[in-house]
Amino acid sequence: MARDLLLEVGAEEIPASFIVPALEDLKRVLAERMADARLKHGEVRTFGTPRRLAVLVRDVADTGEDITKEVLGPSAKAAFDAQGKPTKAAEKFAESLKLSVDALGRTTTAKGEYVSARVEEKGRPAEAILQDAMHAAVHGISFKKSMRWGDVDTAFARPVQWLVALLGDTELPVVLGDVKAGRTTYGHRFLAPGAITLKAPADYEAALEKAHVVADVAKRRAELLRKVNAAAKAAGAQLLEDDGLVDQVTNLVELPSPVVGSFEERHLDLPPEVLVQEMKSHQRYFSLTDANGKLLPRFIAVSNTPVRDEQLSLRGYQRVLAARLADGRFFFDEDRRTPLADRVEKLGRVVWQGQLGTYLEKVERFRALAGFLAQATGRAGEAATVERAATLSKADLVTGMVGEFPELQGVMGREYAKAGGEPDAVALAIFEHYLPRGAEDALPSQDAGALIGLADRLDSLCGIFAIGKAPSGAADPFALRRACLSIIRIVLGRGYRFSLSAAVDEALRLLAPKLANVKRKPGEAAPREQVLEFFRGRLKALWGEQHRTDVVEAVLAVGFDDLVAAKKRLEALSVLVGHSDFQPLAAAFKRVVNIVEKQGKDVAGGQTNPQRFTDEPEKNLHTAFTQARDKVGVHVRADDFASALKEITGLKPAVDTFFDKVMVMAEDKDLRENRIRFLTEIGALFNQVADFSKIQAETAAAA
Amino acid sequence: MYFQDLILTLQKHWADQGCIVTQSYDTEVGAGTMAPYTFLRALGPEPWNVAYVQPSRRPSDGRFGENPNRLFQHHQFQVILKPAPKNVQELYLESLRKVGMDPLEHDIRFVEDDWESPTLGAWGLGWEVWCDGMEVTQFTYFQQCGGFDCRPVSAELTYGLERLIMNLQNVENVYDIEWVKGVKYREVFHANEVEMSKYALHESDPQMLFTLFDAYEKECKRLIERHLPMPAYDYALKCSHTFNLLDARGAISVTERANFIKRVRDNARLCAEGYLQMRERLGYPLTKTPWTVGEQPPVLEGKPASDYWKTVQLNKPVEKKEKTEVARGA
Repeated sequence: MARDLLLEVGAEEIPASFIVPALEDLKRVLAERMADARLKHGEVRTFGTPRRLAVLVRDVADTGEDITKEVLGPSAKAAFDAQGKPTKAAEKFAESLKLSVDALGRTTTAKGEYVSARVEEKGRPAEAILQDAMHAAVHGISFKKSMRWGDVDTAFARPVQWLVALLGDTELPVVLGDVKAGRTTYGHRFLAPGAITLKAPADYEAALEKAHVVADVAKRRAELLRKVNAAAKAAGAQLLEDDGLVDQVTNLVELPSPVVGSFEERHLDLPPEVLVQEMKSHQRYFSLTDANGKLLPRFIAVSNTPVRDEQLSLRGYQRVLAARLADGRFFFDEDRRTPLADRVEKLGRVVWQGQLGTYLEKVERFRALAGFLAQATGRAGEAATVERAATLSKADLVTGMVGEFPELQGVMGREYAKAGGEPDAVALAIFEHYLPRGAEDALPSQDAGALIGLADRLDSLCGIFAIGKAPSGAADPFALRRACLSIIRIVLGRGYRFSLSAAVDEALRLLAPKLANVKRKPGEAAPREQVLEFFRGRLKALWGEQHRTDVVEAVLAVGFDDLVAAKKRLEALSVLVGHSDFQPLAAAFKRVVNIVEKQGKDVAGGQTNPQRFTDEPEKNLHTAFTQARDKVGVHVRADDFASALKEITGLKPAVDTFFDKVMVMAEDKDLRENRIRFLTEIGALFNQVADFSKIQAETAAAA
Repeated sequence: MYFQDLILTLQKHWADQGCIVTQSYDTEVGAGTMAPYTFLRALGPEPWNVAYVQPSRRPSDGRFGENPNRLFQHHQFQVILKPAPKNVQELYLESLRKVGMDPLEHDIRFVEDDWESPTLGAWGLGWEVWCDGMEVTQFTYFQQCGGFDCRPVSAELTYGLERLIMNLQNVENVYDIEWVKGVKYREVFHANEVEMSKYALHESDPQMLFTLFDAYEKECKRLIERHLPMPAYDYALKCSHTFNLLDARGAISVTERANFIKRVRDNARLCAEGYLQMRERLGYPLTKTPWTVGEQPPVLEGKPASDYWKTVQLNKPVEKKEKTEVARGA
């Protein structure tokens, strides 16, 4: 008879951001252990609030399934002598399985014939399996930070208060630190402080609901959002959307109860980002706007307890915010007394990275690099704005406001630049050089910010790689992966045409004084190569999301120095690869590439000599190729890679006939080498778009 | 409730649980944590349950008596419970009820907050406790102090007395707090705030303070060598306060800052070690008392964390200890 299983860890308030990952760990370990023990079960659900992490498994079988396994022993040769009698080896094998030698069989594997035996493994009772599985699950959660408590040596996110481990109506003996599992859980800390005895796992969600706890994370999130939106509507306002804040607040409460409060209207002259940040980062309040998205002097705070008199707690919420806004105003006013330009010098006292120097040095480097990029991308007209904005771009790091709210870097730079009378374009560029701040964020809208942003990130990438601190595994303290992706997104988004490798060279040239004493590990690639390889990796990951990996590799294999062109080649090739007649085409290309790869290196370089052709098919192919080459050249220069590919694929019949009728590996050396040179030229034509040999196609493989 | 009654109520509550009520430590500190009643007593296997008010000086928070919330000197009500009782949250919430903060009338919440003191080589995990969005208490489970593991773990409750009473008296300005009937915080401390802020931010003599810092540091090290960790710790505290004064004056550059903090921390570590050696020499006398506060559940898996001290070697000569200590603290 199948029973349900409930595992609940009750703890003192667990940090909001820990809850979802912890539930995933708990569920994963439990499910893995059940699968390993062949214990069948139904649906697995998780529940989580600040005070509990729980898993409910429906319809758990009473025992694991029995299985019969085949166990391989020594090879048949070793196990039986010439007469076919079992040897010592066979006897020992049988003995180890507690079988008689007669019960042994033989199994043929790829490596030869072996003695084998069929062994039956009984499934263990569910209680035993689950007791181990639950022990592993509660000890197997990996928290970002964990702690010991009381006099126990176990660690958890916060002290564990109770455990529930119920299989049907049976309590299972699980222990964590100083807590033993039972059937007692607890509801809302204040609204339902008493113990709740659970009869059966299936009662869990309803019992908690009754005790004022919405245990299901998704349900609680939906309820929070519904209530918050309703409160906003009732106040004649709109919620400023913030998914991250919704997620966080969901896991700060067991029962969301929003209240609408207000702050003094005079504070609305502070930059909206400052107001939103003040409300959000310390207080976790939601901001409200009017129908046009303009901030209102109102907020929504979400309480964990529906208090008796809302006005009383509201007074508290408002008082705290008023104090915070007063502080914010103090910083805003103080900061504006010193022009941004006067702060630049102070950056010389802020270390960016030990070996790579201060922020002032970094600013000087990337200002020069941004100027270089403005020239390279044909934006020389932006040079003055780039120069000024780059100079001021990091000056807000030494303001009081950014000291208090690091998230406001760039925003405050923009505001203080405006207040100091800098041109709007400069102020905007200061803000936009940080864009995009994440995968979902917008790109810079103007060139100056985009170019400075590129230069700043290239300087970080090249500098950090050059001192041997490239990201490895999960460790990426300078967020270089994100920086690299941002560079790619900006270049593509703004359509900048320039040589990436030349920009990397320039960045490294500017960094050179800092790198004079850096010793590279033996066998380590030069920084330039490492950085470009890093770009290749990011491009593969980024483009691999929407295109076939082999197609991406085929395109990257012939270079990505001009990122915009590389992207266009990829798009054109992806379309072509999607067509059904591509496979035979790929086969033909692959033949060319294979021969060039195998034979090309033995052949001295030089031009094909059309005079040396003897057979019609090669003459025909040469004529077709010459025409195609000229056209491909025109198309490539016009970025029309689809047409270039069309020209190239048009060569297929001639290529096929060539291979059918012409013997490339002719006896005559001159003749042979001429043909190989010819194929090399054809290969080079293909390479203007992609390395077709990287494309995986069944027919291509057969060729 | 008057300010004074808040203090008396908290004292009575924790005394009733079995805490000893000590008086404020008598040298300048930036927080109740720095008093030896917390920093040193959190170390080692002995039980320790204490409550005290600690005037806490934060020179860089001085606002000349003009800011309604920030003060050069505020008051913390500090509670240390070691080992942390199983029901410490309940005991704490009971104290809030007693001062008139009913959790059914106010939104009381435990919001994640990791505490770390680079100058003390100490860290812990816990929460800031919110009452209607305002932080009223810092609640920390100590994990390390002076670079040593805290086994067993102490619970530290630091009530911000001014904030609590502002909420209870419903006043917007700290100087409007009624200390006792007819006497406001303004009358008691405003002039002090003005003068102390002027001193810390404008008038202090950095040259003298640098000289004092060096002298205090040297004296601390000398006393450690003389096996006198208690007076040595006083000098470590004086170093810390002198550093805070220099910092408030803007006399320490960004690059020098880290180095000063390290110098304070190194001394705090030596004091922690000296204190542990002293307690070990004395045979950890408090372990022989039946002193507990709150619920003490049995350890069900593994060994008690406090057994750790049975295997730690603390009795080597001080000169050699420095190296082993660094290795262990690293």
